[in-house]
Parts: sequence; structure tokens; C-alpha cells
Amino acid sequence: MSISRNKLYGIILTACFAGAVWAWLQSSNSMPAYKGLNVCLLKNIFNIPCPSCGSTRSLLLLINGQVAEALYLNPIGFIIATIIFIAPIWVLYDIVFKEKSFLMFYIKLESGIKKPGVAITLIVFILINWIWNIKKGI
Amino acid sequence: MDNQRVDMFILSNGKFFESHQVNMIRERLLAIDDSKWVIISTIQFKDPTTSLIVSILAGSLGIDRFLIGDSGLGVGKLLTCGGFGIWTIVDWFQIQKATREKNLEKIQQFLF
Repeated sequence: MSISRNKLYGIILTACFAGAVWAWLQSSNSMPAYKGLNVCLLKNIFNIPCPSCGSTRSLLLLINGQVAEALYLNPIGFIIATIIFIAPIWVLYDIVFKEKSFLMFYIKLESGIKKPGVAITLIVFILINWIWNIKKGI
Repeated sequence: MDNQRVDMFILSNGKFFESHQVNMIRERLLAIDDSKWVIISTIQFKDPTTSLIVSILAGSLGIDRFLIGDSGLGVGKLLTCGGFGIWTIVDWFQIQKATREKNLEKIQQFLF
């Protein structure tokens, strides 16, 4: 067993909660100090955007219904939107009904992306997105 | 297994495990059958120092997590700019322990 159920669910819930708080801080006008705050180490040190820079803005555009703009800004926003809306519900369902269907799905997914064909495709996708990000100057 | 072999294994591979686990591994090795020596002596372990270097250089892309076999967490780190930069810094201090735990998992399947 690679990871325990409780540890994984803790990580997922914490990450999704932090992500939601982060997105809220970036979008609300009540705390202007956090608006446009940049925490990406790569971008702050080397001034080069990382492959997932811009995904917060993409997620916020997606929530506002501007799908095309979100896709142009960073396609990774779509993946994050899917995770942030589905994963907490799935995890809470598992906790309430004392099941481990999400853990099983995670382990299956993990062994899936380790297959050379899938891994190479994903790496190429990330690299293309990275080059695109640098060109767009996000 | 005889004492000399076990001590040789511990001497050359002790750095891949947490110090409090080494004694348990030693006792298990002494208890198990001689026929497993060939497998146990040829297992490749991940070096904690290597993963620390990778974590410092490419931690915000999650490469360190991919390296030790935590692909799921690696994807999570990659997609979130290294967990908003916080996870990256936490992992500079946690990755060596995580690597040693992975090594323990690896040897445990032959010890019991």
C-alpha cells in the first residue's frame, strides 16, 4: 500500500480548502493586499512562469463562465476546477459512509500515469503548456 | 541469516533507513532464511541525499515526489505551483524522511 486512506484524505481536503481560500482571496475586493499576490517560487526567483502559473486566474474566469479566455490563459485551470469541485465531495462521501472508493481510484490513477506511454504524453503536454506560458508572458 | 552478512548489509545500507528502523531491520534479517540473501542484497534503494538535491532544484515542479514514486502527490505539486510555494519548502525538510519510508516499504516485502 503506497499511501494510507486517512493521510490521502487529509491532504486532499487541506489542499482543496487552501485552494478555495486562495481563489476567494484573489477574487474578493475585501482584502486588496492579497489581490495579484504571487507565491510561485520559480516565477519570483527566475522571473520565468512555471507550467501551472495562471491557473488561479483561469479558474476564476471559468467560474465567471468565460470558458474560451480560461482555456487561453491556462488549460490546467480546467483540471484544477474538476479536482476542486469533485474531490472534496467524493472524499466526504467516503468518510461519511466509511468506504475507500476514492483511495482505490487514486491508486489506480497513480499506477496508470506511471505507464511509459501515458507518462510521456503528459510530460509533453506539460512542456508544451510551459513553453506557451513563457511565450504568453503570464 | 548469519551475523556477518547482516552486519555487512547494515553497514552499506544503513543510510537509506531511519535510524530507529535499523535495529528492527537487523533483527528481521537475522531471523529470516538464508535463501533470501540474494534478493535482499540486490535491492536498489533511493538515496535520500539525491532526493534532497532534486527537491531543492526542482521541488516546485514536483519532480522530487515523482522520483520517490509518489506520482499522485507529484501531479498535485506540479499543478499547484508546488502547493503555492509552501509545500515546496515543507518538502525540503520532509523529502529525506519520505524517501527513507519508501525504502522501508521496499525492503519490508522481503522481510516478512
